[in-house]
Amino acid sequence: MKKILNDPYAYVDETIDGLCLAFPQYYERTSPGARVIKRPGAARTGKVGVVSGGGSGHLPVFTGYVGPGLLDACAIGEVFASPSVEQMVEAMRAANGGAGVLRVYGNYGGDVMNFDMAGEMLEMEDVPTTSVKLADDIASAPPAEAAKRRGVAGMIFAFKIAGAAAEEGKDLAEVTRIAQAAADACRTVGVALTPCTVPQAGRPTFTIAEDEMEIGMGIHGEPGVRRGKLHTADVIAAEMLDMQLADRPIARGDRVSVLVNSLGATPAEELFILYRQVHARLTAAGATIVMPLVGRYACSMEMSGVSFTIIKLDAELERLLKAPAECAFWRV
Amino acid sequence: MSLTVPVLSAGLARIAAHMEVAADSLNALDGQLGDGDLGVTMVRGGREVDKALPTLPADVGMALMACAQAFTRASGSSYGTLLATALLSAAKATKGRTEVPWSEVPALLAGALAAMMARGKANLGDKTVLDTLNAAIQAVEGMDDPAKMLAAAAAAVDATLERMRGEPAKIGRARIFADRSVGLDDPGQVAFREILRGLATPA
Repeated sequence: MKKILNDPYAYVDETIDGLCLAFPQYYERTSPGARVIKRPGAARTGKVGVVSGGGSGHLPVFTGYVGPGLLDACAIGEVFASPSVEQMVEAMRAANGGAGVLRVYGNYGGDVMNFDMAGEMLEMEDVPTTSVKLADDIASAPPAEAAKRRGVAGMIFAFKIAGAAAEEGKDLAEVTRIAQAAADACRTVGVALTPCTVPQAGRPTFTIAEDEMEIGMGIHGEPGVRRGKLHTADVIAAEMLDMQLADRPIARGDRVSVLVNSLGATPAEELFILYRQVHARLTAAGATIVMPLVGRYACSMEMSGVSFTIIKLDAELERLLKAPAECAFWRV
Repeated sequence: MSLTVPVLSAGLARIAAHMEVAADSLNALDGQLGDGDLGVTMVRGGREVDKALPTLPADVGMALMACAQAFTRASGSSYGTLLATALLSAAKATKGRTEVPWSEVPALLAGALAAMMARGKANLGDKTVLDTLNAAIQAVEGMDDPAKMLAAAAAAVDATLERMRGEPAKIGRARIFADRSVGLDDPGQVAFREILRGLATPA
C-alpha cells in the first residue's frame, strides 16, 4: 500500500477536518468531532431538507455536495461502509427546516437498512421524511431487475436536481417526485483498470492484470460483466455506449446531460479523449447534449477507470439542472 | 399493573448489567461462526442504553425510541440494528402513552417480530433470533402477568434452542458455515436468551 496518511483509523476524521478547514463557507460539522456535515448556520425555515450519506472514499461524493442548491447535510461512514443510524438521524435533524426531509442515496444494503430506520425515528419526532434511492449502475442487474441495481455516479444529478427543487420552495412531495424522476432518468456504466486500497485493510480490493480492464465493475470493486484485454479509448467508449443505448435507447430530439467521470486516478486528458466518442455517438443518435460534465465527480479513491452517466432530461429536469448551485467541487 | 417508563427503565438496567457477565461466552460462541464480537455489541449497546435511562421521557413510545437510538449509537452490527428495529416498532405502537397494559405486550412483540423480518429479510426456521422471539410470543399469548410471562418465554426459548441446535443456519454470515453450525447454538438466539435472563435477575 502506498498512501499519504497518518493513522489509517483516523483517515475519515482527518479528511473531514481538512475539508472543513479548507472550505468553512460550505461545510460545518453538526457537533465537534461528528461525522455529519451540514451547511453552515441553521436549517432554512420552510425549505425541504435534502440529505445524503454513505461510505467515505468517494469524494466529492457524498459530503462534497453539501452546499447551496445541493445537499443540506450528509452522514459519513468509514471507507466503503454505511454511516450509523445515529449519524443519519443527526444529518436529517440538521437539515429539517420544518418542511420535512428527503434522503437521496445509493442502493446498498447497509445504507438502505440504516436510512430506513433513521427515517422512522424522525417520523416518531413528527418530521415527515421521504427517500429516493439511486440505482443507476446498469451493469449490476438486468433491466427486469432494475430495482436491484447499485447507485453510482448518477447520484450527483439527483443531488443537483433535488437540491434545486428544494431551493425553489417546492414541498416535500414535489421535491421527492422530481428527485425520483431524476434518479430514474440516469444510467451509468463504468470500467475499472486498477483497484484501490481501503486504508485499514492495507491491500487492494481486487486484483487485475496489468493489461486488463473490467467493464461494469462497481465503485467498491464489485464484479462487473466482463473482464478482458485493455483496449483503445475509442473501443472502450464504444462498448460502454453500446451497453447504455441497449439498456435505454436515445432518440432523435432527446436532450441529455452526460458525466464522463474519473474513478480517481484517471486523468482529465483521458476523460476528454473518451468524451469525443460520447459526443459523436449521442450526436449521431440525434440527441442534444446539455451541460456536459467531465472530471472527478464520484471516485473510488485511487482506482483508475471511468464511468459514463447519461441522464435524459425533460424541460423541468433541465431547468433544475441548470439552476445555480455551488460547493467546493462544483459550481453551476 | 402496567408497563411504565420506570418499570421499563429498571428492566433495561438489569439487562445491561447482565450483558457484562454474559459477554465472554457470547463472544466465544460467535467466534465459532463469525467475527466473535456479538458479546461486545451487546455490552456496548447495553452501556449506551444504560446511559440514556436517567433522562428517558415519561412517554413509553418516546422512551423506547430513545433506547433504540442509544443502541444504534453503539453498534452498526446487523444484530444491533435488528434489536433497535424491535424497539422502534414497539415505540411506534406506544407513542403518546405513559402506561401500557401488560396484556398488550404479546401484540407489541408480534409487531416487533414482523418489523425485524421485514428489515432483515429473514424467515422463521432460518435459525435466527426470530425463532426464539416467535417462541416467546406464542408462549405469552393471552397472558397479563409479567413474572409469569417471563417464565413462560424463558422456557419456550430454551426449548427452541434445544430443538434447533442440530439444524444448519440458513441465512446471514453463519450460512457460509452451514455445516459447522450444525450442533452449535445460534449466537443471536443465545443473546436473546441472555436478554431474558437479564430481565429475570433480582433487582
